[in-house]
Amino acid sequence: MGQTERFETDFWKHANLRKVWDDIVPGEPRKTIPYTLTREAIELYCASVGEDHPIYFDEEYAKRTIYGGLIAPPSIHILLMFACTPADDWMRSPGTVNAGQSWSYNIPARPGDVITLQARALDKFIRRERLFVVHDNVFFNQQGQVICSGRGWTIRPQ
Amino acid sequence: MSVTFESLRAGDSIDGPIFPVSRESIRLFCDASLDYNPLHLDDEYMEGNFGKTHFGGIIMHGMNNFGLISRMITDWAYAAGAIHRRLETRWIKPVRPGDTIQPVGTVRSKQTTAKSHWVLIDVTVCNQTGEKVASGEAMVEFPAT
Repeated sequence: MGQTERFETDFWKHANLRKVWDDIVPGEPRKTIPYTLTREAIELYCASVGEDHPIYFDEEYAKRTIYGGLIAPPSIHILLMFACTPADDWMRSPGTVNAGQSWSYNIPARPGDVITLQARALDKFIRRERLFVVHDNVFFNQQGQVICSGRGWTIRPQ
Repeated sequence: MSVTFESLRAGDSIDGPIFPVSRESIRLFCDASLDYNPLHLDDEYMEGNFGKTHFGGIIMHGMNNFGLISRMITDWAYAAGAIHRRLETRWIKPVRPGDTIQPVGTVRSKQTTAKSHWVLIDVTVCNQTGEKVASGEAMVEFPAT
């Protein structure tokens, strides 16, 4: 499991460095890191949700499709969100509750893609005593093409 | 037999995968998504209160629901030569180890735009007792041929 060796899995470790709801400035870009998507990472993600379509695994099959080669499932952005953000990012704050998401898909991510993320909070508000942030995220491949874009609503820990 | 844009009707249904949730499946999702939020790992932490919410034990990632819905939509779309273009979801109830969940889609409507054809699909995810744990809507493009 190569990716977890490099990735800090203890989300408490940098907790004191992370912004709380009060510090988050809507519109301010978040620091992000490029991530090389591997076939292994795609296969691990597929295993976790039971994806078994050959377009993700079988190179010969994939070559004969309109995609011309292996692709990742559209929902690979679930992994990319964490892979492209640093350990002190407030998305990792323990107790962050995901309230909903919407994603639009342009082109698939592929094994070997070097993926970059442009991300920011777009809005923050209080509803029923809960502290909400609206996330705004766009993933690009190494050619600058949009892979997908999404909004997320999270409830911040307090 | 795969579907075509012309043959689809409002009310047509799409069955998604039946997914048993366990501590192991949640842990695998942590490793696959790199989301190690203690909500999904730490029972002791989950005994606490989150604002006005009390979970009382670890819960499945909401995005695990999202991934299952996406799997249902893509498998359906690939077979029809169509493309999964959008998914929006809301989480309604927490999902816990021991639950079994299944997404189901229902075609709500079809629309033709200047350059393509679109199918709008309502999605729900229910647990083993029939409670709705997530809902959403998807958009699938049937490219003009």
